[in-house]
Amino acid sequence: MIEVSRLTKCYMTHERGHTLREIAANLIRRPVREVRAVDGISFSVDRGEIVAFLGPNGAGKSTTLKMLTGVLHPTSGEASVMGMVPWRQRSAYVKRIGAVFGQKSQLLWDIPPIDAFYMNKAIYGVPEPAYRRTLDQLVELLDVGELIRKPTRQLSLGERMKCEFIMAMLHQPDLVFLDEPTIGLDMIAKERIRGFIADMNRQGVTFILTTHDLDDVEALARRAIVINRGEIVFDDELHVLRSRLGGRKAIRVTTETPLPDSPLPGVEIVRRTHALEADIEIDTAVLPLKRLIGELNDRYGIHDMSIEPLSIETVIKELYLGPVEQESAASTAGRSE
Amino acid sequence: MIGVLACIGVVLRTKLAAQMAYRSHFVLSVLLLIVGDLIVPMITVLVYRSGASLPGWTLHEALLVQGIFGLAKGIAFPLFFGMVGATLSQVREGTFDLLLLKPRPTLFMTMLSGIDPDDFGRLVSGGVLFGYAISGIPSPSPVQWLLFAAWFLASLAVLFAFSLLLSGLLFRWVGSSRVYDIFDSVTSFGMYPGTIYAKSFQQLLTYVIPVGLIAFVPASTLLGRAGGGYAWAAASAALFLSVGVFYWHRMLRGYTSAGG
Repeated sequence: MIEVSRLTKCYMTHERGHTLREIAANLIRRPVREVRAVDGISFSVDRGEIVAFLGPNGAGKSTTLKMLTGVLHPTSGEASVMGMVPWRQRSAYVKRIGAVFGQKSQLLWDIPPIDAFYMNKAIYGVPEPAYRRTLDQLVELLDVGELIRKPTRQLSLGERMKCEFIMAMLHQPDLVFLDEPTIGLDMIAKERIRGFIADMNRQGVTFILTTHDLDDVEALARRAIVINRGEIVFDDELHVLRSRLGGRKAIRVTTETPLPDSPLPGVEIVRRTHALEADIEIDTAVLPLKRLIGELNDRYGIHDMSIEPLSIETVIKELYLGPVEQESAASTAGRSE
Repeated sequence: MIGVLACIGVVLRTKLAAQMAYRSHFVLSVLLLIVGDLIVPMITVLVYRSGASLPGWTLHEALLVQGIFGLAKGIAFPLFFGMVGATLSQVREGTFDLLLLKPRPTLFMTMLSGIDPDDFGRLVSGGVLFGYAISGIPSPSPVQWLLFAAWFLASLAVLFAFSLLLSGLLFRWVGSSRVYDIFDSVTSFGMYPGTIYAKSFQQLLTYVIPVGLIAFVPASTLLGRAGGGYAWAAASAALFLSVGVFYWHRMLRGYTSAGG
């Protein structure tokens, strides 16, 4: 469905100083600097996938998404989405895609969402029967029957986000770009939105999900592409990402006597939640679980204990920070070859 | 075409509904626009009452120019001049991206997003002034009315070209509200009969920056004073519009969006 090859986007930015002298000098001459926001990335996405597109702030995620939605022209490289080049066949292309931006609303603040839906119906040229059928289906799925007739400004953030999804899906797109779709939402609203995305995906809609909320990723995506400083540093299934954690486990333990800062070799105290309770991380390759339990019990007396696999957040953090970056880049290069 | 008209109809209705959410603001805006647009004509009346005049033009004739200017703005501002404000705010905030995601020409979407029913107040003030001015001049013939209609379309084309040039400028001068001052300064020459200016300046206002086409030439047609020389002015309006369309699209290509 999506084929991206060596996509690059550079832009010029003005460099400004902060002292009075630098500001005055800027009136006469403003030095410019080239920023390579996206640096020759290549990847592909199959129909029906939900792919998480991750990266730290300023990594190039939004720029990539803007090129893939036809908003920006790339500096170089190629992309073909559903057989079209987004920035060259924009009008025909955008008819088949949808987009939800957690921080940019398509609704109209002072009037009910239903009016904005009608506006989109006219702009997309959706025939009345198809519009009615899709709207009814979406309203039922998201349970917003009453809400769509209330002024947008009176809706909660979660209710507004549900309406943003209706706005993006009314013309029945095959591919939807989601940029932070659950930002600022409470757990219940997040669950509802995730359920909706999963439902739509089961009906064949492909999603590209950009988010900093890794719970969204774990709940929805099977595959992740991680971008950092404009380059792809990981592109594979989530379980591969998890396997990078090796035998590391997260353990919450309550002991009878307080744990010291370095209780045992291979054990790291991540956080103390209480004098006698701590979150620890162990590397089972250094200290097998059976030995850890025995030694902890002997030395400090285990009162309570829960063991969980390390969250994906840990490995993502490592990818963002860089130590694994070189190795990952090599594996990504191998995969794209 | 039906789809385009349907879009304009739906957006007009939606924007009107949005205005109705704050009815007092809407009413006040319309009233202030009517009053604001009548200030220059009132000064013109005061000038004539004091015994002075615009050489060669009676009070009603001078007010006809200003009435047509008001009528042209009364159509241009609510329907398409709002694209300047839309570009100003949306390019700065990065929400212009949302217009690019719609399956219609970006220029049309920008125009739609700038539709502002408030500005129909200008149509009221222009209409009142036009009616008053017409009542004080000899009745134009049907041919003169037809020619007037054609020149009035040229007037709208010139205002559309101004909208395009200013809106296009805002892709580079991000967030600069000074473009309105540029517009006011340049077009204010069009509120007076062209013959009061020096010949060379008159030529400039007719053929180069065709501000004279907004009201002076259409008014001259109704008064039976338009000569054949103005035919070139029509070409100038068409050229000005083409330059506007070309420039706008050229500037759109430089749109870089805002940070994500």
